[in-house]
Amino acid sequence: MMKIGNYTLRWQMVLTILVLTVLCLVWIYPFLWMISASLKTQSEIFSSGLNLIPQEPQWQNYQRAWVDAQFSRYMINTVLITIGTVVLTIISTSLAGYVLGRYTFIGRRPFMALLAGTIFIPAGYTIIPTVDLANKLGLLNSLWGVILVMAGTGNVIHILLFSAYFSSLPKELEEAAVLDGAGFLTVFFRVMLPLAGPVVATVTILKFLGAWNNFFVPLVFTFSRPDLRTLSVGMFAFVGENETDWSGMAAAATISLIPVIIIFFVMQRRFVEGIAGAVKQ
Amino acid sequence: MSERDIRLKLENLVKEFPERGGKGTVRAVDSISLNIYSGEFLTLLGPSGCGKTTTLRLIAGFEGPTSGQILLDGKDITPQPPNKRDMALVFQNYALFPHMSVFDNVGYGLQTRGMSRSDIRDKVEESLGLMGLKGLGDRRPNQLSGGQQQRVALARSLIMEPRILLFDEPLSNLDAKLRVQMRSEIHSLQRRLNITSIYVTHDQIEAMALSDRVVVMNGGQIEQIGSPEQIYRYPASRFVADFIGRANFVPVAIDSTNNGTAQINVLGRECQVPLQFDYRAGMDVVAMLRPEVLSLREDPTLQQVQIEQTMYLGSEVEYIVRSGEQTFVVAEKDPRLQKVYSEGGTVGLDYISEAVHLLPA
Repeated sequence: MMKIGNYTLRWQMVLTILVLTVLCLVWIYPFLWMISASLKTQSEIFSSGLNLIPQEPQWQNYQRAWVDAQFSRYMINTVLITIGTVVLTIISTSLAGYVLGRYTFIGRRPFMALLAGTIFIPAGYTIIPTVDLANKLGLLNSLWGVILVMAGTGNVIHILLFSAYFSSLPKELEEAAVLDGAGFLTVFFRVMLPLAGPVVATVTILKFLGAWNNFFVPLVFTFSRPDLRTLSVGMFAFVGENETDWSGMAAAATISLIPVIIIFFVMQRRFVEGIAGAVKQ
Repeated sequence: MSERDIRLKLENLVKEFPERGGKGTVRAVDSISLNIYSGEFLTLLGPSGCGKTTTLRLIAGFEGPTSGQILLDGKDITPQPPNKRDMALVFQNYALFPHMSVFDNVGYGLQTRGMSRSDIRDKVEESLGLMGLKGLGDRRPNQLSGGQQQRVALARSLIMEPRILLFDEPLSNLDAKLRVQMRSEIHSLQRRLNITSIYVTHDQIEAMALSDRVVVMNGGQIEQIGSPEQIYRYPASRFVADFIGRANFVPVAIDSTNNGTAQINVLGRECQVPLQFDYRAGMDVVAMLRPEVLSLREDPTLQQVQIEQTMYLGSEVEYIVRSGEQTFVVAEKDPRLQKVYSEGGTVGLDYISEAVHLLPA
């Protein structure tokens, strides 16, 4: 037994806490290393070993990333692409999930099975026809092209989440709205979608992460337009032919991570509710 | 009532659903024809699966009939969607929009109709006042009690000034005390507004307390239509007699008939009972005696029964008594004024002959 203030801890408990603390440190060490590296000089990164405290914080690394490497522009591009992707994804997947979850029609089950089957198609598998189509539609080398491609792919899980959630809501809510004179879209946008807040939060976070961190699609779609690059593609610029600017890259990576962390903390509770709610069904 | 007063007319309404897992169909509503009069409070009453809710959903337009017609004020509304029927429905689970305030819930229908904001505000305030919900407009439904939620649901329905107000077991989620209170409120509100109402319930007390007429349904068909008194005192079938209240059934034969009465022998005693149906001498029928029609007396001339159970219920004493193979339920009112018999004893079983009702065997 061990006494800390008013608490008496058993040794097994102390051991568990110690093991978990070590595991947590191992888990977050790369993240801490990245922040630390962003404040070190290039030579200090490799000479200081595991030490995370910089000798003298090199804030100019951030300035180099933000101004010289044009991360301010990449940040705007990434924000626009991510917002566009998330909004379009929420609208399309929630509508699809609503119809699949609430309406019965011939071929619904085979369609759901087919939809679920597409999860196993590798992401890069469809890139050539997608680029070809975007090119013919004049969307290649444009932010809209990136948004439409990212909003239109990898949404099966989101559709199934919405479908499971909507199917659990009482049908009387729709019927009450219909009796009051609401049409399909009014019922959906005014009654059903606001009730799906937890799933909207879940899909927002999942899609936000996917869109924010996506490298492949923005790389291919902005190949000849460097000004349209996103943060993840822009990061690639730190890798030179002969040397890599590790401290600048670490600063850029830290900049690109901050919005992700903020959005997760803001929507954390709803995210958990959405996942739990969907699993419960 | 005249044809002119008919607000809603159901003509040979049939609804079939595909059988689950099979290729056949299940007939949930089987050739129902019914007139509902203007200002009337009509209740569809029956056990689970009798087709009452399906009938209500057909009327509301949430289901389309397999065949038959629905006429509202003489106009065929069968193909019309729910929002074109000028009806409102109070749901069993209230169906209040949880993300909207009470005010927005009540005013939602007016908003979809495109009414101006100021008119909506006036009408909602008036409606909330009528339902005793003044000052609760800003609350969310989950901040209200069950009774208050029920009132909001009523306010939301009434504000649309529908030609017909539909109720789908609206009190079944409330506790017993609140149910009685809300029943009384619905009753007085309906009488005050004189709004044609169709109410679905499986609770016979609710049906009797609220209705001008009760429609007893079974197996998708109408068993009987009548006032609560008619249904209770003169049930058309053994099913109705058993479903509405409690009843004792005694198989008897009709000795003779004369001037609308029948001579029968019930519990060892000759009596004359009024005839509600076309029975003839020699026919085997069933005599129905409600528990309150029976009484126990220490009289050796009466049929002797053994008391199997005595239950003191405050306002009455209920006995289960046995005579040979048959058991009877006897309800004696006001036990303070009567002798309470103990279990195991033997006593005479008496009845009010005028209250005996004959049913087909």
